[in-house]
Amino acid sequence: MKISVIVRQVPHQESVLKISKDETWIDEENLVFITNESDSYALEEGLLLKESQGGEVVVCTLGPERAGQVLKDALAKGADRAIFLRDDSFDRLDSQGMARAFAAALKDEQFDLILLGLQTDDIGNAQLGPILAEELDLPHATLVVGTEMLGRRVKVKQEQEGGWFQHIEMDLPALLTIQSGINKPRYASLRGIMAMKKKEIRDLTAADLGLNTSDLTPDQVLVRLYVPPKIKDTAFLEGAPDEIVAQLVEKLTNEAKVL
Amino acid sequence: MENDTAAHVPTIFYIFAGIALCCFLYNLKRLFTARIGRPEVRSLRPWEVIRNTLYFGVLHLKVSSRQFGYATIMHLCLAWGFITLLFATTVDFLAARGLFLNILPGKDTPWFAALNEIGGLLLILGTVLALIRRHSSIKPEPLPQDALAGRDNLFGDTGVLIFLLLLAVGGFLAESARLAIEQPATAGASFIAYPLTLVLPSDLWQSLQPGLWWSHAILALALIALLPRTKLFHILTGIVNVALTNTSERGTLRPMNIFALMEDPDVDLEGLVLGAGKVEDFTWKQLLDVEACTECARCSSVCPAYATGKPLSPMKIIQAIRHNLYAPAMDDPASMVLVGELISPENLWSCTTCRACMQECPVLVDHITAIVDMRRFLILSEGKPPEDAAAYLEKTAQQGNPWGFPRENRLKWAEDIGLEVPLMADKQEADVLYWVGCAGAYDPRNQAIARAMVAIFQAAEVDYAILGKEENCTGDPVRRMGDEYLFETIAGQNIEKLSKYSYNRIVTTCPHCYQTLGQDYRQLGPAWNVVHHSEYIQELIRQGRLKMDGEVTGRVTYHDACYLGRHNGIYQSPREVIAQTLSWKGELVEMARSHAQSFCCGAGGGNMWYEINQGERINFNRFDQAVEVGADTIVTACAFCMIMLDDARKVRDKEESVQAKDIAELVVENLAPAIPGLGKREEPARVYGE
Ligand code: SF4
Ligand code: SF4
Ligand code: SF4
Repeated sequence: MKISVIVRQVPHQESVLKISKDETWIDEENLVFITNESDSYALEEGLLLKESQGGEVVVCTLGPERAGQVLKDALAKGADRAIFLRDDSFDRLDSQGMARAFAAALKDEQFDLILLGLQTDDIGNAQLGPILAEELDLPHATLVVGTEMLGRRVKVKQEQEGGWFQHIEMDLPALLTIQSGINKPRYASLRGIMAMKKKEIRDLTAADLGLNTSDLTPDQVLVRLYVPPKIKDTAFLEGAPDEIVAQLVEKLTNEAKVL
Repeated sequence: MENDTAAHVPTIFYIFAGIALCCFLYNLKRLFTARIGRPEVRSLRPWEVIRNTLYFGVLHLKVSSRQFGYATIMHLCLAWGFITLLFATTVDFLAARGLFLNILPGKDTPWFAALNEIGGLLLILGTVLALIRRHSSIKPEPLPQDALAGRDNLFGDTGVLIFLLLLAVGGFLAESARLAIEQPATAGASFIAYPLTLVLPSDLWQSLQPGLWWSHAILALALIALLPRTKLFHILTGIVNVALTNTSERGTLRPMNIFALMEDPDVDLEGLVLGAGKVEDFTWKQLLDVEACTECARCSSVCPAYATGKPLSPMKIIQAIRHNLYAPAMDDPASMVLVGELISPENLWSCTTCRACMQECPVLVDHITAIVDMRRFLILSEGKPPEDAAAYLEKTAQQGNPWGFPRENRLKWAEDIGLEVPLMADKQEADVLYWVGCAGAYDPRNQAIARAMVAIFQAAEVDYAILGKEENCTGDPVRRMGDEYLFETIAGQNIEKLSKYSYNRIVTTCPHCYQTLGQDYRQLGPAWNVVHHSEYIQELIRQGRLKMDGEVTGRVTYHDACYLGRHNGIYQSPREVIAQTLSWKGELVEMARSHAQSFCCGAGGGNMWYEINQGERINFNRFDQAVEVGADTIVTACAFCMIMLDDARKVRDKEESVQAKDIAELVVENLAPAIPGLGKREEPARVYGE
């Protein structure tokens, strides 16, 4: 079975975040970057499937130079080879652009399964998986908390609201976005770290992928990033119920401007 | 005398003796099974070998133990009885051949006859004491009791004792028969055998004599022939092992030079041995340790993990390794996978590396390095740390502390209360570099200790500075967990920072930092002068730089941290400091297990970072020991001990009645004159800490 796992690099959960001067991103200096949490679960799921079904696991990331570390970590844990999408024009892609880049990189490889974390710990919009599935014209399932191979089909357990689960089956090839907690990610052994040095990491640029500027121009732009100001303004409305309702409507219309 | 010549002994005896000797030599092959181990260079000086043999082999220095009074007497009887009889038999043998007659005593030389009797008596006494110990209610729980066979030894433990008993009793009877027949003038010196002759008529002795002599002779020869296959083999292996032990290096983890290994382009990844997963992955000396084990169970009796029902018995670990070592030699093909089958990972993870086992082991077995080598195998080779620990290892790698708090916040303990602490980066040089440690930087309880330490530096006007955000975890937990790769990585970062500045010494408030900076880093290069704060405070007091006005009342007990006491031999400094803080109404009381016999708090060896969900928690047990002696203050000198005991205090609902304090806090509270804002006179509680 040929499995691709997409891993992404994000700031450590405990980081002390500071907003950058231009207020469109965070200050990356002094930050510690690590593998996105749900991506490490996706990687583990890929490795477990490879162990039980045979085949290979190819990890893929997109990002600046430093993001290469998440590929190395994945290779040390047992992935077979890596693809690194690296290009200045990949800076600040939106989910659509990212999906186009990953799709271009993965489309010719005939993967049976593409796995990635449900969402990233930085932006957290959980869009890449579904859009990428559309780009590649694959069936997909999100919020996966369990997988079972049934020959050329896969049965997955999806988490629903309120403690419910849903089991669905689909044909391979397919794409799954994995929820944290589905397994127990392994620790890289030294043997693995040493073996990692001999494994292939293939760099691909926008040109290699045949992407042009219009493919990569974001439809979605982050305009301003700021810490919501803390405003605490409590007013007590008094009087008979009718009067209170009237006052409330007035305030919601004129002060809060939500009606 | 004249009829006891060589001619008196039948020739057939010599044939038997020859066969026995051949069997002995053949069976001795067990000793050499240790050869399958990896090479290890011993830099032993001859005088050390002689000293070790004498101290630990002959004089039984390590057999004698406060904690094992009965067993000490029992073993001294057995060993000295055995040695005496061995000596006597050798002399007899030589005398019977007419050798050295001018210097050697004869069978009937009164003192020699009496010595013989004493030897026999000791041996009987020893075996009886041992049999009682094994088969009555006084048997220590971890002591094995396989009756007549077992654990890779012929006759088991009880069988070999009965063997010895028969030998000693038979010896007396044979001697009685001889005395009855020969009636030497000095027979009275044989104070047991001679009175025995009077029990039976002499013609009966006459007829019994050949039978008694032969049975005794056969038994003795059988013992020689089979000795290497019985438990008594430890007489040989024990002596060889202690002779070759480098006592100053016991318990020192071996460096693995992983960085060099990783740069080696021709390294054979498949054949690479990382840690010990199979018996042949240990060094020959570790395997000799294993051969020497006497199965006395002292190690397990004192092991805190064993005592609290964790799945660890250090003796069983040693025996499991031995089982695999001997399996081929004992014609047992069923050797099992060592780590994973014979020894479960939980066994290995339960060890706190507290060294209690090594302190008591009579034959100087090095349990800790064996256990850590197997942990190294689990982590480096298999990538399988204890389940909850992987996260802490990763956090240590990412943020430089096992809690995973941001490096950015490493100075918050001081900044939060507006405390100005000088940084090495600003000063470049200082007399003392104060190593705050991760606990001091991030753990609220230990932050209070770091602040107390600053108060002490200020009070004594010490020229000091800290590394601040440049400081990293020293790597003690990761190293003891077996992650030598991560240890080398973060140690390298620390060494680089430490080498940038100039200072005379490093002061640390944590014995784990003390051990790592002072001992472990030495293996990687530079050696610094590292002092534990108990020693440093003691020095400041002695120099008159800290003036104490002891006002502590009540019963104070001190918990010896393993990495301060047993690992580094510091017992007196903290006690001397505590004494300075006591008023006439205060007293220092010792727990039943203190000094070298101290009982670990449960945090060492990385155990701070994962939980073995079996048995009782070690820290609760230790806390209860303090309550048992009526302590109302428990004093610690270790960051981890503080966390563990403070936690136990809360869970045991003793927050009101029992305090847990670090010696630094105790000192600050009793300074004269008190520092405004600090210590007792302003406000009694830890104002500097909250
Ligand atoms: S070091 Fe301590 S915990 Fe580990 S086996 Fe020895 S006595 Fe037990
Ligand atoms: S290892 Fe040492 S203390 Fe433990 S049983 Fe063996 S000889 Fe006794
Ligand atoms: S934490 Fe304290 S008691 Fe426990 S192992 Fe370390 S030094 Fe010993």
